[in-house]
Amino acid sequence: MTDKKTDEQLIAEFQGGQEQAFVKLVDRYKDRLINFVYRFLNDMTDAEDLVQETFLKVYKNKHAYREIAKFSTWIYTIAGNLARSELRKRKRRKTFTMSQLSFDDNEFTPVDPGKDTEGIVFNTYAGEEIMKAIKELAEPFKTIIILRDIQELSYEDISTILDIPMGTVKSRVNRARLKLQETLSYLRE
Amino acid sequence: MQNNECIYISEQFTKYQDNSLSSEIRARIDAHLTVCSPCHQLYQDLNKMLDQLHKLPPVSSNQDFTSNLLHHIKAINQEPFWYKIYASSYTRIAGSAIAAGLIVALGMNIWIDPISPRSPQGQRNFSGEQKAQTHPTEAITSQLDSLQGSGADTLELNNSTINSKGSSLQLVSGTK
Ligand SMILES: [Zn+2]
Repeated sequence: MTDKKTDEQLIAEFQGGQEQAFVKLVDRYKDRLINFVYRFLNDMTDAEDLVQETFLKVYKNKHAYREIAKFSTWIYTIAGNLARSELRKRKRRKTFTMSQLSFDDNEFTPVDPGKDTEGIVFNTYAGEEIMKAIKELAEPFKTIIILRDIQELSYEDISTILDIPMGTVKSRVNRARLKLQETLSYLRE
Repeated sequence: MQNNECIYISEQFTKYQDNSLSSEIRARIDAHLTVCSPCHQLYQDLNKMLDQLHKLPPVSSNQDFTSNLLHHIKAINQEPFWYKIYASSYTRIAGSAIAAGLIVALGMNIWIDPISPRSPQGQRNFSGEQKAQTHPTEAITSQLDSLQGSGADTLELNNSTINSKGSSLQLVSGTK
């Protein structure tokens, strides 16, 4: 039996106390969100943990959702914020580790960019290569490529999720694609 | 990139692909792409790249994802209220700092004056905090009692390995 209820109907039911509606939303969104977060973190275990955390936030803060926004953009915003803050944490940890290394051992050990792309076997070399290139992108470009070109969300939804004007979304998509193309050429050299 | 015209053209690529440009600008790009091979090459590379992005193999969640999440929620709901406060990392750090402070203060107190309490005001504050903590616990306990009676909050899992039918998930959030 297929459930024709909209996301907004389900969250309203959950807000009204029907927990079964929450489970339906989890089933609808878990894979989409894992695909989204995985492209940020390049690690399946971390991606699953972060998506679990996203749903826990939805569960605990269900009344924070207002019907003026689409449920999808709301949950993407939560997951996106968590993913970006995790990336920032990693960056700080990496900086700390490197400064310690150079101090203790007088040695600089760069991190292999492809090192933690584990947990998934790519069908093609191209897939692996493009993931490496995405990883090299600055955070705003990475976010926009994932949302637009991997998740294939509309400009309007991206504008809501990132809270930036639609014109900015479009120009950022263009710049991000050019940047990604440049990174790919650089990696191929 | 060759010149300003090339830069302008490359800035329009996304709109060109989306077909959202005016016919004049579209014609200008078409014309440029036929005469400028670097831009033509770049446009082709971008299209190939987009194709690769769209074809990235999707990843999917662990089959236990939903049941793990529901177990997690259930565990949180069953934790005593004081543990929920303790479990939040900020509170834990603050709690450790306060505990360390109390130990030091207590040590100092015993060392300096082992009999008389040094600060009756501080004691009053401490007991006041304790009282404030017990109040929401009572509120949540009574809310959970009332929720347990309603069938609407019973959670059944469809396609997960655990069978939680009959066990009820209780709401943490008390705000309505
Ligand atoms: Zn050109």
